[in-house]
Amino acid sequence: MMVEKTIAEEVLIKVEYPEVQEAPRYSCSLGGAYAAAVGLYGVVPILHSGGGCGIGQLFGQFYAGGENSPGGQGGTSTPCTSLVEHQVIFGAEDRLRQLIKSSIELMKGELYVVISGCVPALTGDDIEAVVKNFKESAPVIYVKTAGFNGNTYTGYEQFFDAVIDQLLVPQKKQKRLINILGVVPFQHVFWKGDLEKLKETFKKIGVEANVIFGEFDGVNNLKKIPAAELNVVLSPWLSHKTAEKLSEKFGTSYITFSSVPVGPKETTKLLQIVAKELKLPGIKVQSVIDAEERIAYRRAEYFGDPLLIGLPHAYTAVVADSSTAIGITRYAANEVGYLPEVVIITDNPPEEYRRDIIRELSDNIECAIKPEVIFESDSHKIRQRLKNRSFLLLLASSLEKHITGDFNHPLHLSVSFPILDRLVIEHSYAGYRGGTVLMEDIISKYVGPL
Amino acid sequence: MHSDHTPHIFNKGINLEEITCPNREDRANGINVFYGKASELVQDARAGNLKMRERNFQQSSGCTLNFYLTVRISTIREAALIFHAPVGCSSSALGYRELFRGIPREAGRPDFDLHWLTTGISEKDVVFGAGDKLKYAIEEAQSRYSPKAIFILTSCTSGIIGEDVEGAVNEVQPGIKAKIVPVHCEGIRSRLVQTGYDAFWHGILKYLVRKPQKKQNDMVNVASMLSYTWQDRKEITNLLGRMGLRPNFIPEFATVDQFEQLSEAAVTAPLCPTYTDYLSRGLEQEHGVPFFLYPSPVGFENTDGWLRKIAEYTGKEKEAEKVIEEEHRKWAPHLKAIRNEFENIKGNGEKVEILGALGQGRLLSQLPYFEELGVKSSAALAQDYDNLILGDLERVIEKVGDFNILVNTFQAAEQAHINKLLDPDMTLTCPFQGSSYKRAKGATRVHGLRGDNLKWSQQSGYAGAVAYGNFLLQAFKSSSWQKTMLNKTENEYKDWYFKQPNPLYYLQDEKA
Repeated sequence: MMVEKTIAEEVLIKVEYPEVQEAPRYSCSLGGAYAAAVGLYGVVPILHSGGGCGIGQLFGQFYAGGENSPGGQGGTSTPCTSLVEHQVIFGAEDRLRQLIKSSIELMKGELYVVISGCVPALTGDDIEAVVKNFKESAPVIYVKTAGFNGNTYTGYEQFFDAVIDQLLVPQKKQKRLINILGVVPFQHVFWKGDLEKLKETFKKIGVEANVIFGEFDGVNNLKKIPAAELNVVLSPWLSHKTAEKLSEKFGTSYITFSSVPVGPKETTKLLQIVAKELKLPGIKVQSVIDAEERIAYRRAEYFGDPLLIGLPHAYTAVVADSSTAIGITRYAANEVGYLPEVVIITDNPPEEYRRDIIRELSDNIECAIKPEVIFESDSHKIRQRLKNRSFLLLLASSLEKHITGDFNHPLHLSVSFPILDRLVIEHSYAGYRGGTVLMEDIISKYVGPL
Repeated sequence: MHSDHTPHIFNKGINLEEITCPNREDRANGINVFYGKASELVQDARAGNLKMRERNFQQSSGCTLNFYLTVRISTIREAALIFHAPVGCSSSALGYRELFRGIPREAGRPDFDLHWLTTGISEKDVVFGAGDKLKYAIEEAQSRYSPKAIFILTSCTSGIIGEDVEGAVNEVQPGIKAKIVPVHCEGIRSRLVQTGYDAFWHGILKYLVRKPQKKQNDMVNVASMLSYTWQDRKEITNLLGRMGLRPNFIPEFATVDQFEQLSEAAVTAPLCPTYTDYLSRGLEQEHGVPFFLYPSPVGFENTDGWLRKIAEYTGKEKEAEKVIEEEHRKWAPHLKAIRNEFENIKGNGEKVEILGALGQGRLLSQLPYFEELGVKSSAALAQDYDNLILGDLERVIEKVGDFNILVNTFQAAEQAHINKLLDPDMTLTCPFQGSSYKRAKGATRVHGLRGDNLKWSQQSGYAGAVAYGNFLLQAFKSSSWQKTMLNKTENEYKDWYFKQPNPLYYLQDEKA
C-alpha cells in the first residue's frame, strides 16, 4: 500500500518554481542600475527599454524607497527610448542613438548612463557600438541589465561593473580615503541619511569616506574610487564581487562589514576595523570612540523610562534585507535588550553567503535567545512564517503593516524596503546616535503619559 | 497602417473571439502628440489626418502595463493577479497591501486582502519558455488565496518570447476554481497607455461578465479611477441613492461578483469616457446594456446632464429633477461665492488663468466646469487623444470657445516648456510632470487619490464642484513652495530649450 501511494505521489510531485512569489522586495536589475544612477548627482540615466520602465520604477524603487519623489532625472523625467513592436522587429539602435544625442543636448549632466532593459536584450541591439559613437561629445557609459537577468541588487553590481570597466582609470592612491560600497540608493531606504552620518563619523577619525551617492560631484566621487586606500563593504554579501574586482584592477584592499552599523557598539567595531586596516594612531581613534560613546549613551538615558515601562525585553521579529536585518537586530538585541525571536532575510542572498549571515545573527547576539533565521522573499510565505509566535515588536517593511489582525497585535515599524508608510529623507539609524533615533521611532509608536 | 480606412474615425465593433482588443491607434486613430488649437485637432481628425509621430527626445511615461493597469487590477477584491513578467514589471504594485487602508472602517471600507504573484521570468525562461511556470503560478494562486478570479498580466518579455498564455490557461482552467482572465498588456504593443485599459476590459468582457440572470434596474455601472477619491464614491452613491439607484463601481476595489453582474445593469455611465468606452460598447453589444459617454459628473451643468442621462435609462426622470433641484439649492450659493472670489483675485476685471486637464475625460469635463468657476483656461494638457471623444470635443469647443491643446503623455520637458510659455496664474500638476511645478505663480495638484478620505479632496457632483473650487482658491493664497524650489534648485534642462518657442522641438516630421 505504501509503495502504491509513493508511485502515485511521484506522478503528482510538482516542480517548484521559487521565482513564482508574492511581492518580492526588490525590482529587476534595470531597477537597481537605475536607482544607482538616480542616486548619483550629476548623472542622467537614459533608459533603453519599454516606455513603462521608468514610471514603473518610480513606483517600485523611489516611492517604495521611503516615498521619495524622483528629482529632475528620475521617473517621468528620465529619457527613455520607449520601444514598441516595430523596433522589436527592426532593431532600435537608431532610436537609441537619437535619444542619447538629444539627451546630451537638452539635459544637464556630467555623465550619461544608458541602462538597457529586456527588449534590447531580446532583440540583440549592439549598445556598445552605439555608445562608442558619443565618446567625443560627452561621457556616456552603458549598463546592460535585462530585467530578466537579475534583481535590484544584481543591477547595482552591474552598475559598478560598468563604471569600473568603462569609466575608471588608475589614480594615485590617496591616504586615508575609503569608498563605501554595498548601500543601494532607494533600496536601502535610509541611504541618504546613513551615508552622510557614516561620512561624518569617519571624518572624526581622520578618514575621508567617499560615499559616492547623494552628494554633488557624484561623478567625481566615481572617478576617485581607484584612489582609495581601502574599500569598505557594508553588506554580508552585496558588492563583495565589486570590491574583489576593484582589488584586481586597482590593487585596493577591502574589508567587509555585515551591515550599516546601528548604534555605538557596531559603529565602534567598524571604526576599529577600518583604523586597523589604515594603521591609524590607536590613541587618537580611541579618544574619538570614547567621546562618541559617552554622549551617545548619555542620550540613551533619555529613553530609559518609556522603554522599561512600555515594552521592555519584548520578543522581536525582524523582516529585512540581510544588511538591514543584521544592523537592526544587533542593536535591538545587544544594546536595548529586545529578544530576537525570528529574523526573516528578504533579499535572497546567494547560497554561499547564507551560513555567514546566520553566524552574524547568532555568534554576535548577546542574548539567551538566538533568533531563528529564515531566508524568504515571498511575502505570502513571510506572513505564514510570522504566525504563531510571541513577538510584540515587528521591525519590517510596510508590507507587514496590515497583518496585525491575524497575529499578536505587534507594534510595527517600517525599517526595510519597501517603505510606503514613511517619508524618509534625512532620517538615519546609522552611527553612534542612530540607535537612539530608532528608539525614538519605536517608542513613539506606543508612548503616552506615564 | 491606417490607409485602409480613411477618413478614419473609429471602429465600433468589439470582437470577443479575439484574444485581445485592437490597439487604440487602430481602433480610434489615437495619437500621443499634438500641439495647437483644439479646432485644428478636430479638423485633422475629421479629415483623417491625425498622425502618430516619434520624438527624438522622449521620457519614460508609461506602457500599457505600467501606467496604472498594474495598480488598478491589484486592487480587485477576492481576486489574485499574476504578472507573467520579469520581477521588475510588478514592483510598481508593492503598495498593494496599503491601498485603501487609510480609509476608516466607519467610512464604509469593507474588510479585504489583496494578492499578487510574479512569475519572475528569468534568463532560463527566455530560452526554454515559461509556460509551465505560468501554470504553476495559477495553481499556486488558487491554492494559496482561493480567489474567484485570477488575472494574468503579460509583459514585453512574455510577448517577445512568444508565450502561449491562452494555451496555458485553457489547459489548467478545468482544474482551477477561479475564472482565469488573461490581459494582453505587453508594453511594446502600443504607444498609447489606453490600449492597456481596453485590453483589460476585453478580458473582463470575454471571461468574467456572465449572461444576465436577472435585470437589476436600479444598478448603474460606473468605471471608477484612482483619481476619484473615497468621498467621490460616497457623493455619487448618495446622489444616485436619492434617485433610488445604486452605483456598481468597477474596477478599482470591486469584488469579482461586481464584474460578473455588469451585464445586468440598467446603464453604464462614464466618469472618464475613453477609459470606459470599450467596456460600455462591449456590454451593449453583448448584453444590451445601454451606455452614454458624455458628460461626466464634474461641475454643476455636467452633473445635471449626467444624472438626467442616467434617469433616461432608468425611468427616474422625476427623481433626478428633485435631486438636481435640491443640490442646486444647497450648493449654488457656495459656487457663487467662489466665483465672486475668483473674479476679485486679479483686481483688474480679468479672469485668472488655469492650465489643467490630464486624461481625455478631464479635457472634456474640466473646461465647462472652469467656466462655472469663472476662471479661464486657454490651454489644456491631455495624455493622449483619440477619436472616441471627437464629437464631444467639438461640443466643448462650441461651448467654451477655442483653446490650445498639448497632447503629451507625461513628457516632463514639454510640460515644463509649455508652463513657461503660457505662464498661467495656476498650473495643475501631478507627479508625472517633473519639475513643471517650479514656478513663480501658482501650482497645485489636479486631483487627490482613491485612498483619500477627506471631503476637502472631493471633486464629483455638486459638493465636489464646490470643494474643488475652494481648493483652488486656497491654492492661490501661497506660492512659496514652488517659488522657493524654482529659485533654489537647478533646472535639469538647458536654457536654450526655453529660449526657443516650441515645446515640441524634438518632434520628428515623418510618421514613424
